[in-house]
Amino acid sequence: MNKTIELNETPIRTSKNFNINNITLQNVPIPEHIENFENVTIINESSNIIINNSIKPYNLSYGLGSFLESQVKENANQTLNILVNGKSNNELIIEFDFDEDNLNLIENIQITAAENAKATIILTYKTIENIQAYHNSILRVKAENNANLNIIVVNLLNNDSYNFISIENELKEKANVHFTMVDFGGKNSITNYYSNLIGEEANNSLDSIYLGAEKQLFDLNYIGELYGKKSNMNIEVQGALKDSATKHFKGTIDFKKGCKKAKGNENESCMLLSDTAKSIALPVLLCSEEDVEGNHATSSGKIGEKELFYIMSRGFELKEARKIMVKAKFNTILENIKNEELKEEIIEQIDKKLD
Amino acid sequence: MKKTNIEEINRNIYDIKNKDEYEYKIKKGLTPEIISEISKQKNDPDWMREFRLKALDVYNSLELPTWGPDLSELNMDEIATYVRPKTNLNSSWDDVPEDIKNTFEQLGIPDAEKKSLAGVGAQYDSEVVYHSMKEELIKQGVIYTDMETAVREYPAMVKAHFMKCVPVYDHKFVALHGAVWSGGSFVYVPKGVKVDIPLQSYFRLNSPESGQFEHTLIIVDEGASLHFIEGCSAPKYNKVNLHAGCVELYVKDNASLRYSTIENWSKNMLNLNTKKAIVGKNAKMEWVSGSFGSKKSMLYPMSILNGEGSKTEFTGISFAGKGQNLDNGFKVVHNAPNTSSVVNAKSISKNGGTCTYRSLVKVSENAKNSKCSVSCESLMLDDISRSDTIPTNIIETDEVEFSHEAKIGKLSDKTIFYLMSRGLSEEDAKAMIVRGFAYPISKELPVEYAVEMNNLINLELQGAIG
Amino acid sequence: MSNELLEIDNLYVNAEDKKILKGINLKINKGEIHVIMGPNGSGKTTTANAILNNPAYHKIEGNILFEGEDITNLKTDEIARKGVFMSFQLPEEIPGVSVSNFLKYAKNKITGKPIKLLEFKNELKNYMEELKINPDYIERSLNVGFSGGEKKKNEILQMLVLNPKLAILDETDSGLDVDAIRTVSKGIEMFKNKNNAVLIITHNTKILHSLKVDYVHILVNGKIVKTGSAELAKEIEENGYEQYKLS
Repeated sequence: MNKTIELNETPIRTSKNFNINNITLQNVPIPEHIENFENVTIINESSNIIINNSIKPYNLSYGLGSFLESQVKENANQTLNILVNGKSNNELIIEFDFDEDNLNLIENIQITAAENAKATIILTYKTIENIQAYHNSILRVKAENNANLNIIVVNLLNNDSYNFISIENELKEKANVHFTMVDFGGKNSITNYYSNLIGEEANNSLDSIYLGAEKQLFDLNYIGELYGKKSNMNIEVQGALKDSATKHFKGTIDFKKGCKKAKGNENESCMLLSDTAKSIALPVLLCSEEDVEGNHATSSGKIGEKELFYIMSRGFELKEARKIMVKAKFNTILENIKNEELKEEIIEQIDKKLD
Repeated sequence: MKKTNIEEINRNIYDIKNKDEYEYKIKKGLTPEIISEISKQKNDPDWMREFRLKALDVYNSLELPTWGPDLSELNMDEIATYVRPKTNLNSSWDDVPEDIKNTFEQLGIPDAEKKSLAGVGAQYDSEVVYHSMKEELIKQGVIYTDMETAVREYPAMVKAHFMKCVPVYDHKFVALHGAVWSGGSFVYVPKGVKVDIPLQSYFRLNSPESGQFEHTLIIVDEGASLHFIEGCSAPKYNKVNLHAGCVELYVKDNASLRYSTIENWSKNMLNLNTKKAIVGKNAKMEWVSGSFGSKKSMLYPMSILNGEGSKTEFTGISFAGKGQNLDNGFKVVHNAPNTSSVVNAKSISKNGGTCTYRSLVKVSENAKNSKCSVSCESLMLDDISRSDTIPTNIIETDEVEFSHEAKIGKLSDKTIFYLMSRGLSEEDAKAMIVRGFAYPISKELPVEYAVEMNNLINLELQGAIG
Repeated sequence: MSNELLEIDNLYVNAEDKKILKGINLKINKGEIHVIMGPNGSGKTTTANAILNNPAYHKIEGNILFEGEDITNLKTDEIARKGVFMSFQLPEEIPGVSVSNFLKYAKNKITGKPIKLLEFKNELKNYMEELKINPDYIERSLNVGFSGGEKKKNEILQMLVLNPKLAILDETDSGLDVDAIRTVSKGIEMFKNKNNAVLIITHNTKILHSLKVDYVHILVNGKIVKTGSAELAKEIEENGYEQYKLS
């Protein structure tokens, strides 16, 4: 069933003529029969992380829109309720590999970190055969007081696939949630990310890299609402686009009344590697509190000619020099990934995509 | 640091109300009959009457914006769109009726005309009551007159440009403007003529429950230059007034135009104004804008850089106090190679006011080797106000240097302490920082207007100082 | 009339709930130059800020008298108008306010009298020459884009123009090269007379060589642990603060 869907509404509207308040996708191949998705590898060596399959009903504050939200609620073929306790080196890796027999993943994940709990959770999505994958997921994260979560989401699907991700975080007092998103795959890769910083001194960082080629479309709608005093939200997005790839970055930091001494930063930078690539940005700051600090910066352009010249003067051809520059830009965010094997795989993908 | 409550200002001279005396006031509402009547009253040529009726159809077919300030309080059935003052167009202040002349005198217009302007137009309600320009400019072929005269005397030039830069289907209030426009200024600067001293048009709305819809059309021909100043104000009434003017600017190849505005509408005004410039090869368009008045404002001047090597700059400040929602910004489209734009926008919110910076930057595929830099700073003076920044940036070529920075924050306690350690009271310290914050805009204005703007800022902050 | 300018009596001050000053006593008379020295974090800058009643610092106990009057809880600007000046370690940048306008305005506030423009201009020109400040700076925004040294010289210029009774120089010499330190010393010499006083806060001794210092106070961990003559500064130069940290 091919369907036209309107999705990923921004929290605040701007002029309709700017075509950025939402996105309309034509002919999205919505799977009609959703079979089991069995190619899941869970690596959990910690006794502090417990996983079961029951998630209580909920409604998303934002999300990608009612159609995709209902699909997850009604037809999920993977439901994972992850509970994190304890402080020691908890690490959980879940790998979803798409192939001929596992084409469609509709996934419902909830992560709850108890007070003072600490963990790193890695979710990877890959197509291992030449297929058109469909991925629609909701990931909800709840971090209790002083909890510390490091969550890494890696999308290495192929460029024929569809990738829809809705993320919602709730951060209590002094909770720290650090997200790293590696967004490389999908004909369309559409992400809605929402953080509710309700606790005092709650701290949320979102580091995101995307790399677009061919006719890929990335629509990133990142939202942070700061309610807690001294809460802190930091959005860092680095990306590169080649061929006719398009990116929409919609970032909103919303200082709500009472979030005294809160800080919010958005930094978005896009490297354009061809003259047919398109970069659209809507970096929004909303503020109804006086004693706050809000900053955003966004920039677009091609790789600096001086830097390119410098690298090429050391004997690298243009393509190689570009790779070096893109990787250099991505490097600080890639440093978040301590799993060397995964990092290698991502770097390989960068090289492949830039060839 | 102790909070100081900043009270509403006494807008003194701006609030002087004259009796609502007029020669003709159209009945309220918007129907084809009313539009035809306005057209008849104004002695329109046929093409203009037909234009108005077509614009009304477009108005009826368009929806209110689904974004920005809520405009549902606007009821066009309650607004008289045409009010003709009890005088004709004059070229000497002595001929302007006493009360109207007094108003403009208190606003300092005749005085400024003597000291620092090359020409002045003054509109009262729907019609221009005074227009005059220095003899030497007339000799050089400069035309500066009211729009009605232009329609009569320069029909070819007007027809070729009127609502071509801002088409009626742009948005609902442009369509409304097309249907009911009246008054405004027409300027033509011939090739190569440099007008060194500014021209100014001042728009005053006195009549309650009415609207002002002036049309400003400026053509700066090749290699010519002009500085045009627009001022506006109105006394405050309890019911809503509407301003839906339209400004169309044509800056031809190698020409330059600076368009400065000090807007101080009363706080019952809905200011839904549209301003656009088409900029030719190696030409330059500069906008300087101070927005202090209005209850709600939606104003986004736009530069369309169609000529290779064209440039634009926007320098603007909004200051929103109690009950004000100022949704202002800037739009620029880079449509040719080697174009550049620089945006410097500031806002101040206090006493429950809301400022929004809303913008569009579009660098299209053929705008190779273009540059755009945007800087946006918002100051929150208390915790009951609001400040939003909503910029849209569309980049469609790689040969571009684009950067956008925005900051929201309050007055720094450290800076206030530093100034107080030099003997300034807390209130003086704050006022000094705010004036400094606004300085990049006031320095772009002729000195009299910079003084007026500083006075407005001081007035706005006076509750704190007094 | 008494010679006494400043008296700090048993002063306890917190910054962000952290105890910084723990019972400071200090007397400064007209005509004197005092120096407070101490390692980083000992409370030197807090002392200066407390005298000017910076609201970011909280006085827990103790009093500050200026010319016999209790100024402990006066507002910063009132204290400034009584004749206390502080040269900031990190002078604030104020965009859009020119140095000349700022000084005119501040001078007017401090003296409470209208400024005689010509006299003021000449005075300013003279001071700027002495301090080797580029005359163009006068129309630039206050401290915006100034180098560290330019900012410090600008603080000294403000001191000369505002002509306080007590000048507190908080780390005015830090980060300056030899020439700039010489200029700052010169500014202090120009300012100093028998009716005013200077309190220099520093952690190095270079600036003291060319000045006739009357008292040196060693501040360690929020307390003055030793007071002596200029000789004490020389001793610190040789041996550092280690022995005082232990005590």
